Amino acid sequence: MKWAALAWLALVLAAGAYLAWQFLGGIALQTDLMALLPQVEHDITVQKAKDEVAALLNRRIVLLVGNRSRERARIAGAELAAALQQSGLAESVTYAVPTDGLRRIGEAFFPYRFGLLTEGDRARLQQGRGQEIVARTLASVFGPLGIADGALLRRDPFLLLPTYLAHLPQPMPLLVPDEGVLSVSDGPLTYVLVTAQLNGDPFALAFQDRFIAGFDAIEQRLRQATPDLRLLRLGAVFYAQAGAAVANRETSVISIVSFVGTILLVLAVFRALRPLWLTLLAIGSGVVCAFAACLWLFGGLHVIALLFGVSLIGISLDYCLQYLSARFNPADATPERRLYRVLPGITLGIATTLIGYVTLLLAPFPGLRQVAVFSAVGLAASFITLLIWLPMLDSSRPLSHGRRLLVAAGWLWRFWERPGYRRPRVLLVAMVLVLALVGMFRLTVEDDVRRLQALSPELRAQESALRRITGLAGGTEFILVRAADADGALQTEEALLDRLEQAKAEGAIAGFQAIAQVVPSVARQRENRALVHDRLIAPFLAAYDRQLGIADGDAPDRAAPGDLTLAAITPDSPLSFLHQLVLAPGAGMVTHAVLLSGVTRLDTISRLAEAVPGVRVVDPAGDITRLLGQYRRRAVLLIAVSAALMLPVILWRYGPRGTVPVLIPPAIAVLLAPPLVALAGVPFTFFNAMALVLVLSMAFDYAVFCRETDPDHRPVTMLGVWLAMVTTLLSFGLLGLSRVFAVHAFGLTLIVGTLLAFVVSPVTGESAGNRPKMQHKD
Amino acid sequence: MIKRLAPMLLLGIAALSAALAQPREAQPLRPGERLEGRFVEERHLTGLSAPLNSTGRFMLVPGTGLLWRSETPFDTVLVITPKGIVQMVNGSEAQRLPAARLPFLAGFYDMLSGALGGDWSAVARDFTMDRRAETGGWSLVLTPLHADDPAATQLQSITITGSDFVDAVEIHRPNGDWERLAFLDQKRSSAPLAPEDRRLFDTADP
Repeated sequence: MKWAALAWLALVLAAGAYLAWQFLGGIALQTDLMALLPQVEHDITVQKAKDEVAALLNRRIVLLVGNRSRERARIAGAELAAALQQSGLAESVTYAVPTDGLRRIGEAFFPYRFGLLTEGDRARLQQGRGQEIVARTLASVFGPLGIADGALLRRDPFLLLPTYLAHLPQPMPLLVPDEGVLSVSDGPLTYVLVTAQLNGDPFALAFQDRFIAGFDAIEQRLRQATPDLRLLRLGAVFYAQAGAAVANRETSVISIVSFVGTILLVLAVFRALRPLWLTLLAIGSGVVCAFAACLWLFGGLHVIALLFGVSLIGISLDYCLQYLSARFNPADATPERRLYRVLPGITLGIATTLIGYVTLLLAPFPGLRQVAVFSAVGLAASFITLLIWLPMLDSSRPLSHGRRLLVAAGWLWRFWERPGYRRPRVLLVAMVLVLALVGMFRLTVEDDVRRLQALSPELRAQESALRRITGLAGGTEFILVRAADADGALQTEEALLDRLEQAKAEGAIAGFQAIAQVVPSVARQRENRALVHDRLIAPFLAAYDRQLGIADGDAPDRAAPGDLTLAAITPDSPLSFLHQLVLAPGAGMVTHAVLLSGVTRLDTISRLAEAVPGVRVVDPAGDITRLLGQYRRRAVLLIAVSAALMLPVILWRYGPRGTVPVLIPPAIAVLLAPPLVALAGVPFTFFNAMALVLVLSMAFDYAVFCRETDPDHRPVTMLGVWLAMVTTLLSFGLLGLSRVFAVHAFGLTLIVGTLLAFVVSPVTGESAGNRPKMQHKD
Repeated sequence: MIKRLAPMLLLGIAALSAALAQPREAQPLRPGERLEGRFVEERHLTGLSAPLNSTGRFMLVPGTGLLWRSETPFDTVLVITPKGIVQMVNGSEAQRLPAARLPFLAGFYDMLSGALGGDWSAVARDFTMDRRAETGGWSLVLTPLHADDPAATQLQSITITGSDFVDAVEIHRPNGDWERLAFLDQKRSSAPLAPEDRRLFDTADP
């Protein structure tokens, strides 16, 4: 035994040294939340394109700076932009737009003007209604808004280019350039726009914190100068950081309450600190080994997997408590006797729990695999510590102060055993069954990731104000257009745009942004030039020139001027954002993105759009929703699988007849917890299902502890189960108070499941009197 | 597009006539009042053999918008409201531009509503104002203040002459183009809008 203890010490120390070496070597925990999700896409190019668009959208922040004074708003806007630029947090910041931006676009597009037609003008010419364009132009030329000088009228007689430019899509239609700054007035306030593209991943916790700290400092400085400043913000980074901050605050509160509660509990029950050190030793050695194993296996560990894994290792507390509670049995005078007494129970408990945890490996979430390995290794290591070290370190004699404690702990057993409690027993069972039945009808499932997140209400209010003021439509959906070359992609986009216009007319979508809206395909430009020549210039130009008195009417350039391409849009152009819609090429294919906004009926859009070859509608939030649904169903399956895997162990130990009572607590806990939780109005999600995996393991533990105990040791066993239940509620149950929906659902399911498993656990016990074993099965 | 700024200014200033008339009349348009009249416009564009002439009627309804009805050489109506601009040719809509597409429109309304209330700061931000009393009336010359302003590249000067109301506006451009607008038979009215005019304003402000 001594050799084993030393060997184990060497192993734990080695793990600790490896861990220290890794940390000194500068290993960092993964913090990117997206890394926890499995890759949805099997096509690597599509996945890369999706990542690129997602990064484009997620890294963008939109800020509106408002004040009653236009000047103050502008000063603050300029300062904000400069500070963001200096901070190094943003890749690019846009505040001042060139005042001659539109003129420069006009100059760049001018040579190609006869190939650029608005949808409306194209339709007019196709339908032979060219005279409408003539009449409109004459009215403009003579009218008070006459926009043309003689030179323009000679070279673009029907003012096609100004009309085209006036109809270019605008993502934020309510903003207008005011002395080189995009501005808008809303009530008494003047707002100016600042946008930026971040140079870090908004979902990486480290970047979030760095960005928000920097941004808050800038905001504070601005507010010192202008106290009544209004600053509206929109961006994934703000939501992500607020969510992480809430989770962090809650986590620290929950950890403190749980830690302090557990210490107080152990002190109150054992009136000594040694049990505390021993349990901490067991858990600590488990965490060290688990951490080292994960770093060795995965080369890294996600911070969420670490937190979750540590919680799961926490279940080894239950086994330690079984062993430590044995000190209350005066019959077992030495630590070895005590260990021998509880060994069958905790071994079976560990075995079933390990099976439950290892089953998590079957879920293809990368994070869950880490959690599975971490918790299984940690649990095994804690168990070895418990077996080898605890009896050596725990030399104390049996405790004698526990008489009243044991009587109280044994009450639950008497409740299930004594004939006198028959009526309340029946009443309790009936009540739980009725509640579960009612809950069954209220049971709903929820996979929508947007509803599973607790988005900061303050940020949401700012977002909706910003969207109202700027006219910016929301949306994370987009379309990928793939073709052999750039012009092929533009042609596909043109076919797609017709259909999107139709979807817009049907109210399925508010707007979209595509390159082809600005730069038509070569084929389309040629078609347009032919239309303009045959249906506008040829029939109408001569009379038109006469009417205006254009004597030296140089006919519009007939020679093909070449075609407008995206290259004509320079990086400093107001249209330069179009370049971002060209995604990195791959496998001889060109991929363009078409951004959608204000989507109300995605199915309509998918149906219309995907009829065009090479077009694919992508709905990232929907993908995650579908995924969560898929894995919710898979998690339920995992529970069944792990129960099925635990069954042989139970059967081997208790035989067919003895197995049935042991199955009662797990069955009741897992089957009744979901409908009872539904009574509280909480829908069933993937996270509830994951909680049930844990509930199943614990319920088996409680059942096995009770089944393995001798009648004279029962109160002691029950004390251990009590302690296990209370510590579980302290560590996990508190999660039920979380404002993060997923955590709340997880915690609440655990509370209900643990309580159910605890309350019925004595039912498993070997009958002491004439109580038939099957009495409470129904 | 930016070229639109100049004529818009012209319109704005034409519409300001009542306010500009303050030194003599001291009676800007009162709430519920509108201004109506005829206009004669001649536009001289370099490279065109003859000026572009048009005549018609206008109506300014503070808080609602401006109707600009050309009668010769074409029958067109321009409806300008804070929501945007709608052009009607031969009674049917030919073009519609929402205000967001017309950056200058917001500035125009700032100037117009400011000046109607006697606040010239919006105009003074972009122009120097040289106001003179003349026999039987007054004149005002506006020159762009900022050389780098898009307006400055389109405008050399705006000269407004008036008595009780604005009588004429002359605009000169750097490229030699110029135009002259004369306003005739102007009168205030507080009678209800004719149904047809009401309908026109409604089309522009759906």
